[in-house]
Amino acid sequence: MTANIESGKRRRPSPFNYTIEAKSPAMLTLRAWWPPILWSIVLLLIVVIVMGLGNATLHKTLTDALIKLMVVVGLFVFIGNSGILSFGHIGFMMIGAYAAAWQTCCPKTKKLFIPGLPDYLLTHQFPFMVSVIVSGLLAAFIALIAGSVLMRLSGIAASIGTFAFLMVMYAFYLRWDPWTRGASTMTGLPVHTDSWVMLGFCVVVMFGAFVYARSRYGLSAKASRDDEVASKAAGVNVVGQRLLSFVVSAFIVGMAGALFGHFLGILTVDSFGLPYTFITLSMLVVGGMQSLSGAVLGAIVISTLFEALRQLEIGFNIGGSLVALPGGGREVGIGILMLVILIFRRNGLTANQEVYWPFRGDAMAKTAMSRRS
Amino acid sequence: MFKLPGKSVVGATKRGHHDGLTLQAIDVSVRFGGLTAVDTVNETLHRGEILGLIGPNGAGKTTFVNALTGFQEPTSGQVKLGDRVISGLSPHWIRRHGIARSFQAGRLFRDLPVSENVEVAGVSMGLSRRRAHKHAMELIEWIGLKDKARQPAGVLPYTDERRVGIARALAMQPAFVLLDEPAAGMSDLECDDIMRLVREIPSRFGCGVLLIEHNMRVVMGVCERIHVLDSGKTLSRGSPSDVQKDPAVIQAYLGHG
Repeated sequence: MTANIESGKRRRPSPFNYTIEAKSPAMLTLRAWWPPILWSIVLLLIVVIVMGLGNATLHKTLTDALIKLMVVVGLFVFIGNSGILSFGHIGFMMIGAYAAAWQTCCPKTKKLFIPGLPDYLLTHQFPFMVSVIVSGLLAAFIALIAGSVLMRLSGIAASIGTFAFLMVMYAFYLRWDPWTRGASTMTGLPVHTDSWVMLGFCVVVMFGAFVYARSRYGLSAKASRDDEVASKAAGVNVVGQRLLSFVVSAFIVGMAGALFGHFLGILTVDSFGLPYTFITLSMLVVGGMQSLSGAVLGAIVISTLFEALRQLEIGFNIGGSLVALPGGGREVGIGILMLVILIFRRNGLTANQEVYWPFRGDAMAKTAMSRRS
Repeated sequence: MFKLPGKSVVGATKRGHHDGLTLQAIDVSVRFGGLTAVDTVNETLHRGEILGLIGPNGAGKTTFVNALTGFQEPTSGQVKLGDRVISGLSPHWIRRHGIARSFQAGRLFRDLPVSENVEVAGVSMGLSRRRAHKHAMELIEWIGLKDKARQPAGVLPYTDERRVGIARALAMQPAFVLLDEPAAGMSDLECDDIMRLVREIPSRFGCGVLLIEHNMRVVMGVCERIHVLDSGKTLSRGSPSDVQKDPAVIQAYLGHG
């Protein structure tokens, strides 16, 4: 919804006693873009605080969490708007990560590890930013090809199709030795990704996802999500709109994959399997699948919880004895949280809403209230 | 009393563009395995008229509408829009070329606000969101739901759902609109309201209307012509008074007697 719709005529009591009203063009713009603006500020604060603590391990954890957040925002672009649960997006992450390795490893390493590359790639080395963008584009291109088949399916059939896609890509990369080193570890990616870089990418991607969700394409996709038959009757090209959201989200996830490669410096096909799929999907489900705020909040909450549980697994010294959670406690914890959310708050922590403009006259707040009752 | 404010977003140019257009069903049959749901039905719908399609449950009315709108490809026969054969084309293409429909069950986009429900039709046919919103609000004002425009469609009462369905079908001024039981399950008072809306459609939007309806009071009240289906076959055609007197129709509705 754009700003012109929001110029509320009726006054409602606000939970805040501020009298800031969105009347000037600047305020209207601020209100129209409020969710990504708010989340950008939140992420900035988190990064500033963590960097201020100066703990290298914590910094790495944060960067890793921000990469997951970017993946979740990418998932939201497809799942949130088209309503099709995808189990295949980590495949795009893998495509992006390996594409980054092909572009940025030094030629010596490439000749040694992945001699199957074409000469041009073997002898050239590309800058970090180029590799991220190109990796995203490659993932988007693969999504275009795979999606033009998969997006003809609906509902659970489409979800299973995306799962099959993940399995195909996984098996393929695992055995594609001359390009991926197969089951062995691919090393030698230059390490560029830190929390600041990830903050920048996350902010850009959040705004991008927000623009898409509010565009006419996003609206058409959401219509097909709510009722496929009725959306066709309203003139929506369902396959086309789904494909568009699939490609856009694959682009985002592909870039996240490249950033992941530049974060670790090493790659194994193993890292892009079901565990990563599960954790990113649980972030989206816990936060609320149909809103950007849900994707971001879910990523923050689950990452925090995951880290806390990891600390518990390592154990604490209480009165001389080591108390620790049994191994695998993290996954169990996340699984239980997901169950609790699905039972008691089916639409996630955010109830599928965006964060409200906290000041006067937000019409959407009333809408959300009436829905909850 | 129910005039659209000022100039409509999609101007009168489109209205003229469709003039003299017909929607034609030529020997349309739809078979599901051994069951013939629609059996060689012929009908021509002109712009500006209201045609009633009635018949007992399971007579094939909805299947016939599905065949006209691309949701069901006819097993044999043709559907023509003007000179163009449209049977076999996809539903969204048919909607974009001027044949709209509503659904028996309402089928609104539950999680979207009422305004966006109508807006979808505008944006899918190339309007920007701003223009589509303006257009949608005109239609929502016409159906009398302006104060509910921001509510999610999922919380609307049944009768309002139907009206939003009609508004969504009329977005972008289609040449023909096919309404599937818009008054089903409504009280007499609510029926009057729907009848008033349906009656206004030809003059306001220049559409031809095909109205499927069980409520005889509604059908006889608004339709100029009536087509009666029974077991997929045409049972009778004509003006409301002729059809009411037709012994075959009386027998189909009241049983052998």
